[in-house]
Amino acid sequence: MQTLFNGIITGVIMTLPALAVTLLFGVLKFPNFAVGAMMTVAAYLAFALNAQLGLPLLVASVVAAVAMGFACIAIDQVTFKPLRERGAITLMVASLGLGFILENIARFAYGNTARSFELELARPFRFFDIRMNKEQMITIAVATAAMLLMWMLLTRLPIGRAMRAVADNAELALVRGIESARIIRWTWFITGILLGVGGVLVGMDRALEPPMGSNYLISVFAAAILGGLGSPLGAFAGALLIGIVSELSTLVMAPNYRIGVPLVAIAIILIFRPQGLFGQPYIRK
Amino acid sequence: MTEILRVSALHAGYGAGDILKGIDVALEKGRIVTMIGPNGSGKSTFVKTLAGLLPARQGTIELEGAPLNDLTPPKRVRAGVAYVPQEYNVFRNLTVLENLKIAREFMAEKRGNGKAVDEELVALFPELPAHFGKKAGNLSGGQRQMLAFACALAVQPKVLMLDEPSAGLSPLLMKEVFDKVKKVNERGVSILMVEQNAREALRISDTCIVLAGGRVRSCGPADAILGMKDLNKLYLGADAL
Amino acid sequence: MISFLVLLSIVVCFSAILALALNFQWGLGGMVNFGLTGFYALGAYSAALLMLKAGANTFVATLGAIAVVAVVCGVVALVTLRVAEEDYFAIVTLGVGEMLRLVVLNEDWLTKGALGLTGIPRPLGDVVPPEQYQYFLLGLALALLLGVLAFLTVIQRSPFGRVVRAVREDDVVAATLGKNVLWARVRIFAIGGGIIGLAGSLHSFYYQYIDPTQFTNIVIAYTFMAVIAGGRGAHRGAILGAAAVMVLLEGSRFLKDAIPALDSDQLAAIRIILIGAGLIALLIWRPQGFLREYRLKVSP
Repeated sequence: MQTLFNGIITGVIMTLPALAVTLLFGVLKFPNFAVGAMMTVAAYLAFALNAQLGLPLLVASVVAAVAMGFACIAIDQVTFKPLRERGAITLMVASLGLGFILENIARFAYGNTARSFELELARPFRFFDIRMNKEQMITIAVATAAMLLMWMLLTRLPIGRAMRAVADNAELALVRGIESARIIRWTWFITGILLGVGGVLVGMDRALEPPMGSNYLISVFAAAILGGLGSPLGAFAGALLIGIVSELSTLVMAPNYRIGVPLVAIAIILIFRPQGLFGQPYIRK
Repeated sequence: MTEILRVSALHAGYGAGDILKGIDVALEKGRIVTMIGPNGSGKSTFVKTLAGLLPARQGTIELEGAPLNDLTPPKRVRAGVAYVPQEYNVFRNLTVLENLKIAREFMAEKRGNGKAVDEELVALFPELPAHFGKKAGNLSGGQRQMLAFACALAVQPKVLMLDEPSAGLSPLLMKEVFDKVKKVNERGVSILMVEQNAREALRISDTCIVLAGGRVRSCGPADAILGMKDLNKLYLGADAL
Repeated sequence: MISFLVLLSIVVCFSAILALALNFQWGLGGMVNFGLTGFYALGAYSAALLMLKAGANTFVATLGAIAVVAVVCGVVALVTLRVAEEDYFAIVTLGVGEMLRLVVLNEDWLTKGALGLTGIPRPLGDVVPPEQYQYFLLGLALALLLGVLAFLTVIQRSPFGRVVRAVREDDVVAATLGKNVLWARVRIFAIGGGIIGLAGSLHSFYYQYIDPTQFTNIVIAYTFMAVIAGGRGAHRGAILGAAAVMVLLEGSRFLKDAIPALDSDQLAAIRIILIGAGLIALLIWRPQGFLREYRLKVSP
């Protein structure tokens, strides 16, 4: 049961980057390998504000998340925009390089030793035989709130509709009056915030170290693919599933190979149901 | 009669070589112009270029005298040019209502009369509201075509461009489509249609343009072409009129 | 000084072989291998383990390494390419590379984990006198590099190579022409894998000691940079690209003395940042690299 709970926590943390991956894939049409490192940078930014400048973690996180949103827009302008017409592989390779850059910026600034946020110490408590702590409660609350907000944004707000339209058919979106550049900027901003919050949650759950974000990369992609690349609901469901199954797998195999689970999951999905649970069979024009 | 859309010496293409080899076309305000021609003549390329999805390599496109060449497709929509592609003309993963909302949402000046536009659309397409909650991808071919049509109208265009609106439709639905085109035109929208089902389209058109091999072969009153027994001759001959 | 240049040249050789492998898989085959580092480690460790644990000689160990990596790559390609788009393929190779890295790190009983494997023998290490050994190794490395180059050139100009290129340009068309697309791709990826294995075994021979820290992101970063700088598809370009990048990398080691304020972690970080930035810059401004791919001239 404890393992199941841990799995839920891991899954919940992954919903944010999984949603980021799916949004980016939908609008920009390629898997972005820098998302892990983006989480890392945002987490370290929050760390700087929190542990070094003394701001409470909540404030530090909000600032870091918003900063990451703007940073992502800037990064897109410099890195991906010039490559927009080049095709998915080029963009993927660029995103890989970008991931290396971001991760090592964190490494350069803070070295390889693990750090952690300044949080008030609180006693773990027990709930039906499951050990939980305050951070995990916060994590569940924050992630759930974020998911709800995202759901409302995507279904109720014009910008969300436009994002889904661009993901559905970018050319048609143009002739329906949607300015793709604007949508792309908004997508990056929202993604940046998601990754920022996600990074802080990872930092709370585990320690802060340079590979913290990229460690999740495979799992996050597996979650997005399982749910169906391009389906926000799928990202949510996929993340929870991958998180839970990964944790449960530690009951039967060595914890170090937890990454094997999402990898095998990807292989299975691709063989049996490439569009994932909720996705559409992808027709690349 | 004033001109609303003028195309001069237009060249465009996809790879090496041009598909459109110098097109001169003028659309008069309030008229319906149908462009016909054999497959591969460049009809679809033509409207795509007008819509802005393909850059014009040479030549100009003017809407009421103002050049459109440098405008991106969304800006052309704002300027008043709407386009209904032949395929993939609705957002399949979004509901019918969402498709319509999007069509209206991104206009620079919300021309205030949102409600009026809604009522007008419902009046023209009474069958749509029943499907508002459905995903557009789940509609039948004919219903999708109607939706695509409605979305293009939702931006209150001055010029509406339709690429083979009757493609894949049964004769009954085809008639319905052309009826609606006529009705829309009666409300003041100038129409440019590209069509394979020439005769049906020509019946409601004012002018007919024949495009073959990327060039305009002839341009004249639609009735004259309707009267011809063998349209194929038109495509091959240089000037049948 | 000569010694330094000889050693540098040896490193350039096996880095170039690695670049040729990636160039083949990606430039020619259209399959981007994000697990490169992991496969490289697999090759190095396979060779080392075959020698240390199974007592094989260097020649057999090299063949073993080539076979192991080729087979693993082939299996990955077979499983993934049957259904997936190129996007998914990249993700899977990333995951496999990660898994391999974890296996190396964690299976202490086999790989000694973080401690690494020491005392790896060298080809003809007992025969060639120590003072001349580095020249011998350089000669061997060069010979292997040229051999791989020749091998790949032959493949490229063969009918199989034309199939490969057709598949890369437009696999729908290639499929309608009746070419077995999947099988061609599996073979390409496997051949590339074998070459990675070769590079890995050279790595083991050269350093005579391997541990997980030698197989980090920097390997894949510089290999990609070499391939892009050289122009994807041009074999000579990959070699020149590898040479250029390696020289820069090794040269930057001297930075440490020049800038004492930075510690080794930070310097390592800067080097990756520069390579990553160089990679992106190349993609943006010089994607065709500096050499052109060999193409059969087809009259229009």
